[in-house]
This record gives sequence, structure tokens and C-alpha cells, in this order.
Amino acid sequence: MSQTAHRPGQLAVLAALLITAAPLLFFLPGWVAWLFTVMLAGRAWGVWRGSTLPPRWLVLLAVVVPVVLLWLTLRTLVGREGGVALLLLLVGFKAFETQNLRDWRVLLTLGFFLAAMPLLFDQSPLAASWLVLTLLALTWAMALLAGTPPAGSGRTAVVSLLLALPLMLVLFVAMPRLPGPLWSMPDSRHTASTGLADSMEPGSISQLIPRHDPVFSVVFNEPAPPRRALYWRVMTFDDFDGQRWSNLHAIQQERVSLSGGQVWHYSLTTRPEEGRLPALDYPLPGSADTALAQGGTLRQLIKNDDLRRYRLASASGASVYARLSAQEQAFYRRLPAGNPQARQLAESLWQRSPDDRAWVQAALEHFRLEGFRYTLTPPRLAENSIDQFLFLTRQGFCEHYAGALTFLARAAGLPARVVVGYQGGEYNPVGRFWQIRSSDAHAWSEIWLPSRQQWLRVDATAAIAPNRVEQSIEQSVAGAAETLPLTHGAVPGWWLAARQNWQTAAFVWQQWVVGYDAQRQQSVYQRLGLGQHVEAGSVLRALLLGGLLAALPMWLWWRRRPVASSPLPLGWMLLRRKLQARQIRVLPSDGPLEVRRKARALPEADYQRVKPLILRYADLRYGPAPTDAAVRHWLAEVKRLRL
Amino acid sequence: MWPSPSRLRQWWLNRLPSETSCTLTQRRIYLLPTRFGWTLLLVAAAIWLGALNYAVSLAYALAFWLVALLLVAVLMAYRQLAGLQLTPQFSEPVFAGESMPCTLRIKDTQGLGRAIWLGLATLRGGDVPGHLSPHGELLLSLPVPMPQRGLWPYPLMTVWSEAPFGLVRAFAYLRFSANLLVYPAPQEDMTDHQVSAQQGQGDGTSPFGHDDFSHLQPYQQGDAPRHIAWNVLARRDVLVSKRFVGASAASLQQLSWQDYPPTLDDEARLSRLCWRVLRCEQQGLRYVLQLPNEIIDSAASAPGQALQALALHEDAT
Repeated sequence: MSQTAHRPGQLAVLAALLITAAPLLFFLPGWVAWLFTVMLAGRAWGVWRGSTLPPRWLVLLAVVVPVVLLWLTLRTLVGREGGVALLLLLVGFKAFETQNLRDWRVLLTLGFFLAAMPLLFDQSPLAASWLVLTLLALTWAMALLAGTPPAGSGRTAVVSLLLALPLMLVLFVAMPRLPGPLWSMPDSRHTASTGLADSMEPGSISQLIPRHDPVFSVVFNEPAPPRRALYWRVMTFDDFDGQRWSNLHAIQQERVSLSGGQVWHYSLTTRPEEGRLPALDYPLPGSADTALAQGGTLRQLIKNDDLRRYRLASASGASVYARLSAQEQAFYRRLPAGNPQARQLAESLWQRSPDDRAWVQAALEHFRLEGFRYTLTPPRLAENSIDQFLFLTRQGFCEHYAGALTFLARAAGLPARVVVGYQGGEYNPVGRFWQIRSSDAHAWSEIWLPSRQQWLRVDATAAIAPNRVEQSIEQSVAGAAETLPLTHGAVPGWWLAARQNWQTAAFVWQQWVVGYDAQRQQSVYQRLGLGQHVEAGSVLRALLLGGLLAALPMWLWWRRRPVASSPLPLGWMLLRRKLQARQIRVLPSDGPLEVRRKARALPEADYQRVKPLILRYADLRYGPAPTDAAVRHWLAEVKRLRL
Repeated sequence: MWPSPSRLRQWWLNRLPSETSCTLTQRRIYLLPTRFGWTLLLVAAAIWLGALNYAVSLAYALAFWLVALLLVAVLMAYRQLAGLQLTPQFSEPVFAGESMPCTLRIKDTQGLGRAIWLGLATLRGGDVPGHLSPHGELLLSLPVPMPQRGLWPYPLMTVWSEAPFGLVRAFAYLRFSANLLVYPAPQEDMTDHQVSAQQGQGDGTSPFGHDDFSHLQPYQQGDAPRHIAWNVLARRDVLVSKRFVGASAASLQQLSWQDYPPTLDDEARLSRLCWRVLRCEQQGLRYVLQLPNEIIDSAASAPGQALQALALHEDAT
């Protein structure tokens, strides 16, 4: 048993490790990834030159310094980033501790473990493709390390992985998934906030519009509600400081009763931020791991920013009745000092309206008739921002209108709050799902009518730009389409089609690969008729059945026999056939010398022609490794031989 | 009471049939993960556990792919040995203390290329590798140390392969019925044993003399080159020797068991006699070897017979 690893194998292991770690470059502190690259390159240089390893104390010292540095950078060595960075550094240093074959194999094993790390950060189709490449590189390195000749090793690696693929798919589908984690890790605060902020001020939503990131996708069980009813509720803001709306979390869950409307069941796939889940207005209590929080917003029970699918229900178009105590009413009426003109306007609107409902109508009329414009790029506002907006600039985006209307309602003595979320979405007819993007972000007001004890959704934006809730943002705001990347002006049809197909692919990927969980697994089991539940019996059935299917390619591969295409056996077969044609009985077990002995029965002249060919065969076959040219030359002569 | 593992193994190895040639089938081939294979399985389990806990769907795929790869590696390792035909080749006798090259002719009957190793079942290390092309044939020699003279059964061999990944080891045990002859280790003996050449010899005629050509006979090992009929060889590629009749004047060497004092033990005697036989053969001298239960005349016996008698000598008592 050879204890030293071959040099090609060693270099292949180092190269495979580099490929494995490459995606981590995007997720870890830059210097960690670069240090890892430099270490592996250094080791590869050492292997190439055949130089000896550095002394152990030096390696140990070189481990300690970067680990301390890592702790100083991240302030942690556990969790997602810290743990992965530490693993990467340790793998880098293990590369300098590779004496014999066993060490190299340990390093390779670590590489297989390392291959799982980028998946903690990203599970996109691109990440999956890179995983395949990584596995291929590692398997190839494994073959080279085991002494497989380099010429055939790549093929061996590819064939092995391909044969293993069906079995992997069967295990992926059939092996039971757990509904929850076994233990939880310290919350990694890595989530770069891409969505709605914790507070709303002019510009906080309009800045999201040019971004086109998908936020969540929805599949309705029934035909979807009309587009204008698609208000996706995420947060409410109940406090205004003169500039910014935010949530004080001062009010507990209020008791609401719904009447009318229609109940919609849908599944929503998203990666929640801060435990917030978008839900169709107005949400009903949903699946077990969610809860309704203050202001009718949906929350995760346990914060977890994994991409997941939630089964939810909402009553769209329902009237929301709530009993607010005097205290709560006062809370929803609080305003900071300032904005005298706006207060005056709120008061004057009362003169035209007999009741609270009429006041709301009057306020919307005001927005509609007083020359307000809906734009993505409104002028900046400073002191008394509401006054400035209402009486000076009159240009704004949804957050301006929602903020101003809520302010007016409060000034008029009506409890009111701002609701932030999304409006509309893009329907994908190929995948039959709704895709909601950050550009669908929206804000509107909710005003409590004391006469009816009802929260009323009032969307001032709809009064200014009714298109906004009927069509998407690109069609309703002149500036929006121009700032979208890649599309200058109108969006061409082919681009839309391509985008929809891509979205469908991403959606399917999301639903069937990344989001394949216990729930989905159960539905697959049911659909395949394997059993109603995922339990020992049905899993066994699935594995047996799937195993049989997966064994089919292996069996086919096993039956396949390469034909004798190499020239030496082919020529030998030809030669023996030619002798047999002359009644020389050659047995399959006869070696060249026996064949030559038997060939003596030929006439002298023929024998003298056959003899050198037989002898040269013996040389080529048993002598030192012959050149290809020599073998081919011999084969040509055998073919020419006429007996 | 349970037998110890090594005894169990010995008992199991002894149960193997002994054969002249063998073709490996699934009844003979054993498959076990190597240490590396177990480690990789452990890594797959760790990835699976992580996937379970953090609900990372693609990590499931990675873990399962590794497990599936291990299973494919089992199949591939099995394929390295399946249908391999092994036949022991004749091994030239060696002297005790030397190692005997035990050569197997290994043949692929399935049209598969293979990478295999040949080793002793009872001894770790010193295994020899061999590569076999599809439908190819290979002679693989394993040096086996032979510490003692005698006729020994063919050593218990193992043929194994960890190709192509080193994850799974396929192996088979081989017990061949062939025997190995080991001569005593020659020990120098320059003493002149005073025995007359003429005493034991009645007539002076030898079967083969040097005087007159008599006939042609197939070549036998030991025939002098000048007796070979070269012209026949050139014409028909057959080695034949010319035989002559006539008187031989060569002196006769007496190599006797009794040449040594009774205190000398048997093995030492045999070693010395062996050295003397070798010297006679080297110098082309005719000799008579006298052992307690047999007498061998070099002129009347096949070459190597004297050495074989020494190798196989057993105490008459």
C-alpha cells in the first residue's frame, strides 16, 4: 500500500479546495478568502517544487494569528460567518500538515465538508451549479489521489457522479424532513436589509422602487382577487415625530371583528425580515408558526430568516371593526407641534362634511382636485414637511400621501395610522403565481371612524394616480420605467417573456428544491400514492421503489462492455483467425509461443511470413511498454498478411 | 467461549478450496469501506445533520450525493475484481532464506480495465500493483520469503483493489494447490572429504559420452551448448541435442551423509551437501549423493533431482 500521495493527486486536491471555497469570497471578510487562496497556492508551489513542509511550531503560530484577527473582525467564532471563516482557515493550515496519503485524504474530506458551507449563504440555481462543479472537482481529485491514471480519471469521476445522481434524487425526495430545527444557532445579524425599513419618512419607500428584487411570491388556491384588492400588509406606524413615522409598540393586539369580504387561501414564499410576514389585507390567523400582531400584521413566532413557504388566509374586502378605548383613540390622535396650515385644512374640511366618513371623502377630494402629482422624484422637504408638501410642492410618492392624509385625519380628531407593505404584484401566467417585488412597495392610511367603530383603509395615492393600484408602478409613474435597469423606455415584449420564464424557473426552484420541506414532502407522498403520511412504512416503500429506479442506470452501465478497440488484442485476434482459416487449430488459451509452434504445420514459406508477426506480438505484449506507432505498424502488417 | 478473531480468520481461510486456477465471482469477492470511506460517510452524516437543523435543502442534496457516490464506489471496486482469472505460474525453486517470486497470470475475461494489487493474506505490506487493460493479460510476481527448505503449499494470497477512489476495498483470498520447492540454504564446505571416486563405481561406462555421435534427442535442461544441433534450430525452430556414445573419464565425486560427524545436525548437513552438489554441477563433475534413504547418481537422474532430494529429505527414524 503506497503511503505517499502522487503529485498530480496532491495538486488536484488543492485546486478542488480552491474551487470549493470560491463562492465564500462573497460572504466572508475579504482577507479570509484571500489568505486561504494564498495558503493553498503556497502549498501547491511547495508540492510542485518538492520542498519540505514548514516546522510545526511555525504552522501553529500561523494558525493562532489569523484566528485572533478573525475574532477581532467578526467578534465571534461561532454562528454562520464566524464558523465558516474559522473552518476555512483551519483547512488552509491543514494543507501545510500533509505528509502522507492519509493526511491528504483528511484534507480532501474537509473539502467535502467545506462544499456545504456556501449553501448556508445562498441556495440559488447558480449556487447549485457551483456545487456540482465543486463535487466534480473533489471527486476527480479523489480519483487522482487514489492513483487512478490521469487520462481516465476525469471520465471516471463524471460517470460515478452521474450514476449516483438518480439515487441522490430519490433520497432527496424520500428521506424524511423535520418540520423544525434540532437546535438553534445564535442569530446571525447578516441580513442586509433589502426591504421595508422600520420607519417611514419621505423617500424611504420611493428609494425601493428602482430596485427590482423579488420579495415574495404567492400562489392562490382559488382564482386570485382583483389586482386592486392586492394590498399586502407588513407593518403599521402609529407615531409621527414631525419628520418620520414609526411604531412605538405601545398598543397590544386589538380585538377586531371582520364582516363581509371573501376569504382567500394562499401560500406565500418569502424570507421574512425581522420576523415580519407580508399578508393580504386583512389577514386571518394563519399556520401554526405565525401569529397576528398589533395592527393586523402577521409575525413569525420564532424569528428565522430562512426562505420558507407559509400557508395563509385573508379576508379581502372585509370591514374591520375594532373597539378602541378612549386611551387608544387618544394614542392614535397624537401629533407633534408644527404644520399649522395642515391643521387648519383638517379643520376646514369638517365644515364641508356632516360625518367622519364624509370627512374622509372630502380629504381625498382635496388631494384629487388641488393639483397634486404622483412622482418618484419629489422635491426635498425641510421644516414643517406636511405643510410644505400640501401647500407648496404638491409632488410626492405614496409615503408623502399616506403620511399627509394620516396627519390630516389626526389633526381632524380621527384616530389614524400608516400601513406599509406592498400593492399589486406581477402575475406569471407560466408558473401561475404572483411575484411581488420591492418596486411594489406601498404605503396607505387607515382611519378609524368613531361612528362605525371601524378601521377604514384609505389610499390617498389611489386618489391621485388611480393607475397605481390598477397597473404596476412602471405604467403609473412616468419616472419609474426610465430608472429600471436595462429597460430604457418601454419594456420590449421578448424581454417580458424571457423574464417571466426565468421567474417561473426561479419559482419552481424555490418551491421544489429550496422550499422542499416536511409539508411539501407529505403532499408528494400523497400524490405518488406512497402513503398519507411520511412514516417508517411509507419511507421504506419510497426508498425501495426509488432505489429500484435509481439502480436501473447502474445496471445498464454494468452490462455495458467496451469492445476490444485497442489495436494489440484486435490484431492478435485477426492473426489467429487467419491461421484458423488455414486449418491451424488455435485455442483461446494459446500464448504466442504455442501459436508459433502450431504454425509450423504451415508450408515453409508461409511459416516464415507468419513467424515475425507472432514474435513481434510477443515483444509488444510482454516486453517493455511499446509505443503506439509500433503497435499500429504491427497491426497494419497483420491486416496485410495473406495466407 | 468464543474463538479469538485471528483464529476465526484462520479457520475461515483454511476453509477456502484449493484450486489450480480461479475466476473471481461474487461468491469470492468481499467488499468493505476503507477508513477513508468511513470518514466520508461521517462527513455526509454531518452535512445531513446540518441540513436537517438549518433547513438547507441543497445541503441535503450534497449529503445524499456523497452517500450515493459511496454506493457507486462499491460497485466500481467490485468491478475491478469481478471475472478476473488468476492462474499460478511455475516457480523455479529457490534456496532457503531467499524469497520466491510467486507469479500469477492474471487475465481479464470481461473486457474491463483494472487496477489491482496482489499481496499475502498473512502479511501486511509489500503488495505489488498491476494495471490490466481490457481483455489484457498480466504476469504479477509477488516475492514470498522462504525461510525453510521443503515442499511448501502455495502461500495464501489476496488480490485487492481500492480503485478508483480509495473509498471501498474489494478483496478476495486465493488458495492455489501448487507447491513450492525450497532447497536447503547452501553452506560453504571446503573440506576435502577423502573418498575415492572409483570405489563406489563398478563399470566405467556412462550413458552419454563424448566420443561418437549417436542420435538427436529433444533438448533437456543442462545439455551443453556445444551439443545443441544449431542447424536444426535455424531450420525448424526446435531445440535438439546431439547424443554421443563412448567412455567417460570424468572423476566421480562422492557426497555422502556420512561425511560429517554424528554430532552435526541434519539441517547443517543438508546445507553443506547442497553447497557441494552446486559446486559439482557448476564444474560439470559427475557425483553421487548418498542420503540415508536414497542414492542419487547425477548421471542417471534428471537435473535438480539431487537438490530436490536434499530439499525433501526427512529424518528416516
